[in-house]
Amino acid sequence: MSPVETSVSTQKRRHSLALTVGLLLVGINLAVALLTLFWTPYDPLNASGGRLEAPSLLHWLGTDRLGRDLLTQLMIGARTALLVGTGAVAIGAAIGVSLGVVAAFATRLADDVMAATLDILIAFPTLLLAMLVVAASDSASLWTAILALGLAISAIVARLTRILAKRVLRQDYIVASRTSGTSWAGVVFRHVLPNIWPTLSVNFALQFGLAVIAEASLSYLGLGAPPPNASWGRLLQEAQGTVYTAPIGAIAPGIALVALVIGMNLLADGLRDIADPTRGRSR
Amino acid sequence: MTGTIIGFGKISGQGLRVGALGAATLALALSSSTAAFADDAKFDPNASITIGSLYEPQNLDNTAGAGQGINEAFNGNVYEALFTLTDAGDVQPGLVAEQSVSDDGLTYTFKLRPGVTFHSGDPLTAADVKYSIERVTSEQSKSSRKKSLATIGAIETPDDQTVVVKLSARSISLPYNLSYVWIVNDAAKDLNASEDGTGPYRLDEWRRGSSLALTRNDKYWGTAPTNGEVVFQYFTDATALNNALLTGAVDIITSVQSPDSIAQFKDNPDFTVTAGQSTTKELLAFNDRVAPFDNVKVRKAIARAIDDKKLLTSIWGEYGTLIGSFVPPTDPWYVDLTAVDAYDVESAKALLKEAGFADGFSFKLDTPNYDPHPIVAQFIQSELAKVNIKVEINVITANEWYTKVYKAHDFQATLQEHVNHRDIVFYGNPDFYWGYNNPGVVDLIKASEAAANTDEQTAKLKEANTIIAEDAASNWLYLYPQIVVSSSAVAGYPVNGLNSQFFAFGIKKSEQ
Repeated sequence: MSPVETSVSTQKRRHSLALTVGLLLVGINLAVALLTLFWTPYDPLNASGGRLEAPSLLHWLGTDRLGRDLLTQLMIGARTALLVGTGAVAIGAAIGVSLGVVAAFATRLADDVMAATLDILIAFPTLLLAMLVVAASDSASLWTAILALGLAISAIVARLTRILAKRVLRQDYIVASRTSGTSWAGVVFRHVLPNIWPTLSVNFALQFGLAVIAEASLSYLGLGAPPPNASWGRLLQEAQGTVYTAPIGAIAPGIALVALVIGMNLLADGLRDIADPTRGRSR
Repeated sequence: MTGTIIGFGKISGQGLRVGALGAATLALALSSSTAAFADDAKFDPNASITIGSLYEPQNLDNTAGAGQGINEAFNGNVYEALFTLTDAGDVQPGLVAEQSVSDDGLTYTFKLRPGVTFHSGDPLTAADVKYSIERVTSEQSKSSRKKSLATIGAIETPDDQTVVVKLSARSISLPYNLSYVWIVNDAAKDLNASEDGTGPYRLDEWRRGSSLALTRNDKYWGTAPTNGEVVFQYFTDATALNNALLTGAVDIITSVQSPDSIAQFKDNPDFTVTAGQSTTKELLAFNDRVAPFDNVKVRKAIARAIDDKKLLTSIWGEYGTLIGSFVPPTDPWYVDLTAVDAYDVESAKALLKEAGFADGFSFKLDTPNYDPHPIVAQFIQSELAKVNIKVEINVITANEWYTKVYKAHDFQATLQEHVNHRDIVFYGNPDFYWGYNNPGVVDLIKASEAAANTDEQTAKLKEANTIIAEDAASNWLYLYPQIVVSSSAVAGYPVNGLNSQFFAFGIKKSEQ
């Protein structure tokens, strides 16, 4: 066996491991989130134990200051996180991909203006943009948070789409396809989107992770989903004052958050290797 | 556990300070090691006391928007006033030796204590007092207390030791209101960055962003402080402050904001935890102008549907006090009204039915985004769900609260903590944000200010206090505790911290 082959096979194994772990972490989250639609260990809104009970057989992760079961809150938090991630990425993708494709087709001037606008938007951190949108809206809600994050993500997606679409449009086969009578819409759906899709989906997975963190940050600041919607960010905020006496209140949502975000990142990593098998080797 | 009483007021020779420090109403004294530190214990008369606080003053002038930190550091320590508000809540003469009031209550004559000098060496004269009062009432003054001195018409100084204050209307609270008017030297310059007061300490050094050091005034007219130096050390983070006490970098923390950070000091003999009574009240304030909260029955029903005791325990553990109205026990017109609209879900339901809300209703609760309000809101939401009232929690920032709720009165109900001492007067103002308008209460509060003596004032305010409780004008959830934690080597500090004061002159540190 030559040394080159060994390295390639190790890399392959590492990458498929990344994909497996990523899928597992995200899958557990998804399963828990779906489960909460039908069943939770306790009523999430009412006390089921005393103040700040330690973990026990009855309450696996203990209780919060109001005596509510922490595991229940955490499970519902998984639902909120997935909802925010999916919603934000869906909005970001819908707006971002459309804008990006339009920019790729636009005249030189329009394209320059759009590119500059997107660059300016991207210069603002996602969280800051989202905070601006939430502050401008009437009252904070889960949907405002999702919309705000979606808008922030759309700028990043649009810039990526524009660059990728332009590269595809320069190919000879596009000219050939146009000459043979395909409409511009046909070009977009038959050639551009299928070609840029693999790279975009990797980006979506990364943005999903960022959206989950951003939502936790918004909720931590009280700008995310208002109570009683359980959100890991809000759980962290509420546990802040009791971190000495009941550290699990801060540790548990922290770990849940990290696990989902790492899972999404590993998934993105794995997806990238499937989408672009040459990239790992050339690194 | 034996209840060791903390506070060494009786050593202090001065009447006004006995009240301040002797406050034997201390709820808790947890460390048994303090027992060794009794009246006759050896203490170091030149000790340096380090006080850790989160409230750094912006400047050194309480008429220039310096914040509560300057009152903490300077009231009673560097500057004195004509009257002193003791830690127990009484008003005692300060720089005033004698006072007389005209029969119509409109002219107050104050004889100043003789032989008092400022830190600069200038003697205290009536002109200084006039200058000091006018500094607070002047147009440029940013003092939050300006309005309560509005009845002062003219100040005359017939001689160096006599000040005559003429009022446009009777004001029984004048001595109380004068307790936060610092007497400063009228020749002093730049009070933003330096001082010239008459207090037992003078300013040694102010390091912006870090500390403020006071050193004993050896020419003080009264009883000398029981320590040589006091350093206020400022922190921006409560955890860092707690750690500073744990490592011995500070001797005292003036106010602990979370019951759970007390856990690390409570069972440790090296520290003393004292819980006094603050004047900070957690309120569920209704907009009494709008339906359904214009209906007394609805407000009473909500008060009965919320288990305040359970809430207090959730937020503060074993600390804090239940209150039945807006008046805390340190106000002279306190009446125990916790029995009015006590927790009773069945009668709450009955009242709602009488009010025409048998099927409940829903309302929006504007909730400030900082602790404890969001968690209090969730508790209220869960309690009121049991009487079919649906609460929609709307989280807002402190700025939004100020513009939307306080200024524009655009709200149904809100949560807020009210920190002031003697602030029942807010219920006598129908234009206040909560819009409580009971002509009887308005008259009583107005008449109480025009009372001939404090007994009459107290009687009137007690009556007003009882009416607002019966009207469930707001829902008073609980009174915050005032928790001071110190190393067990020090004692003799104030425990209630009224109006943010922190008298340091009685603090003693045992000899190492």
